[in-house]
Amino acid sequence: MRRMMAVCNKELQAYFLSPTSYFAFAVYVLMTSLLFYSSFVYYQPSIVDYRLVLGDTLSMLLFVVPLLTMRLVAEEFRQGTDELLLTSPARVTEIIFGKYLASLAILVALILCSLVYPFIMSFFGELDLTSVWLSALGLFFLGGSMMAIGLFASTLSQHQMVSAVAGFIILLVLWMLDSFAGNSGSALQQWLDPFALTNRFDSFTKGVLSGPDVLYYVTLSGVFLLLSIQIVERKRWR
Amino acid sequence: MLEVKQVSKVFDGRRGVHQLDFTMERGEIVGFLGPNGAGKTTTMRMITGYLHPTAGSITVDGISVHDQGRSVRSKIGYLPETPPLYPDMTVQSYLKFVANLRDVPAREVKLRISEMVSRLGLQGREKQLVRGLSKGYKQRLGLAGSIIHKPDLLVLDEPTSGLDPNQIMEIRDLIRELGENHTVLLSTHILPEVSALCNRMLIINQGQLVLDGSPQHFGSAMGDQFKVSIEVKATEQQLHNVLTPWEKVRVEVIQASAGQASTASADTVKMLLTGESSDDFREELFYILSGAGLPILEMKKENLSLEQIFLKLTTTETETESESELATQEPEADEVQLANLATDEEAHPDTTSDQEQSTKAGSALSDSHTGEDSK
Repeated sequence: MRRMMAVCNKELQAYFLSPTSYFAFAVYVLMTSLLFYSSFVYYQPSIVDYRLVLGDTLSMLLFVVPLLTMRLVAEEFRQGTDELLLTSPARVTEIIFGKYLASLAILVALILCSLVYPFIMSFFGELDLTSVWLSALGLFFLGGSMMAIGLFASTLSQHQMVSAVAGFIILLVLWMLDSFAGNSGSALQQWLDPFALTNRFDSFTKGVLSGPDVLYYVTLSGVFLLLSIQIVERKRWR
Repeated sequence: MLEVKQVSKVFDGRRGVHQLDFTMERGEIVGFLGPNGAGKTTTMRMITGYLHPTAGSITVDGISVHDQGRSVRSKIGYLPETPPLYPDMTVQSYLKFVANLRDVPAREVKLRISEMVSRLGLQGREKQLVRGLSKGYKQRLGLAGSIIHKPDLLVLDEPTSGLDPNQIMEIRDLIRELGENHTVLLSTHILPEVSALCNRMLIINQGQLVLDGSPQHFGSAMGDQFKVSIEVKATEQQLHNVLTPWEKVRVEVIQASAGQASTASADTVKMLLTGESSDDFREELFYILSGAGLPILEMKKENLSLEQIFLKLTTTETETESESELATQEPEADEVQLANLATDEEAHPDTTSDQEQSTKAGSALSDSHTGEDSK
């Protein structure tokens, strides 16, 4: 546990020191606020609903998450510091979870940033608070599994850019899984639909917290974390 | 303490280490030598658990590195060739991170950090970013990180590479100091370092152990014949008259300089005497020459230096090649070459850390051997 927290602390320090994370935050805040402006202020919808701007926030995560996770493991390989981590008494599991925990902390910061929009909206009408809080929770689950995927991508290469692109592609594929099979209710689509990254998110925004949805995101994160652990552990067997 | 049994490592069909076998006792400082690509780093990585061996087993204090990696890894301090540092961290936060990672008891962390800082001369740099440290300080910080948890076994991969001579001395002193309480395995390709630091050395070549023993012991053990080089105030002819009847030694003239009347300097002859056995004949030589009234200006026992042993052991192929090559040459040309090389050797009587020099001495050695053989 202590070793995991040590890794987590180190990663958080690195987040605060690296220009990439500031850049990612800046892009995220800038783009979501622009989209907020266009879809709420400019378009002036007749109802006040957080869901109107939530979709834009989601799509921005697709770009920002790989930027935030690309460094996590790839940089260790590049710097040769994996030699320190892998020869220390820490388990690879502790190392990977430490890193994941740090990325979750960053994710919380991102979500807090995007809570500004419902706050602004609340001045213009009655907001369904349940839906807002559950949306934030949904964002956390969705973002969390995206972070796990990004972390996994980061173990694939020692080059950050390769990791970022790989992460983005995996995320994109999972994101668009439901539209791959066409829009008719074909058997393939029915089979793929439950695995699509954002489908499960909708119920959160409707104010419904359902077990299967939570389980989906937790499992997805778990699978990719396990894969990351295996890939790092495999390095010993080169 | 450390037991390496029949360890092999294969990388994608390429052989890294082949059936390596050695043990280390507690309190030893062992030098691990070998040319680049011999498998030193691979072996160290396997000992520290960074890589798993393809075959064989490594145990530390009887515990297998493979099966109980974590408990073994907590006993080992490892400094890779490039110190594993995070450029964006400060010296202090790095040490704190490593201390936590390496299970230093929480209440001792602060104490250990200050201990390491003062021990490795990092005072005043605690708040400095690692990025801004010089190579020497980075090496020290890496070393601090590898000993902060007081390991039983310390594995150092080329701890002095890339440092300036002063820093090398400092790091060596430090390693010697560490050797008092820890068992140390250090790899290097700087040979004098081994004789300066280690009480045992292992030479590895192409993934196989070629030699195991103490550096002091090798000098005489490897040179199977007793060799003495002398400088005598005499003419070549005089010396030949005296020494030719003495059948125990073979005489080679290295350099004969005729005295010049203008500077009133006398004739001097430098020669290499090789005994038939490893018996010391210096005393006898002294009486023979003094009996003949020929003053000895210089007499030096020629030990095989570490460089020569190293080259002899690690370049067997090239040596046999050059041997066959030389055998086809005219004996006369052979001798000329020998004389040239011998003077070369004479110009650098004390073979030191200089890598270039060692190659020179080595080639002189291999050539002079063939030269003698063909005589």
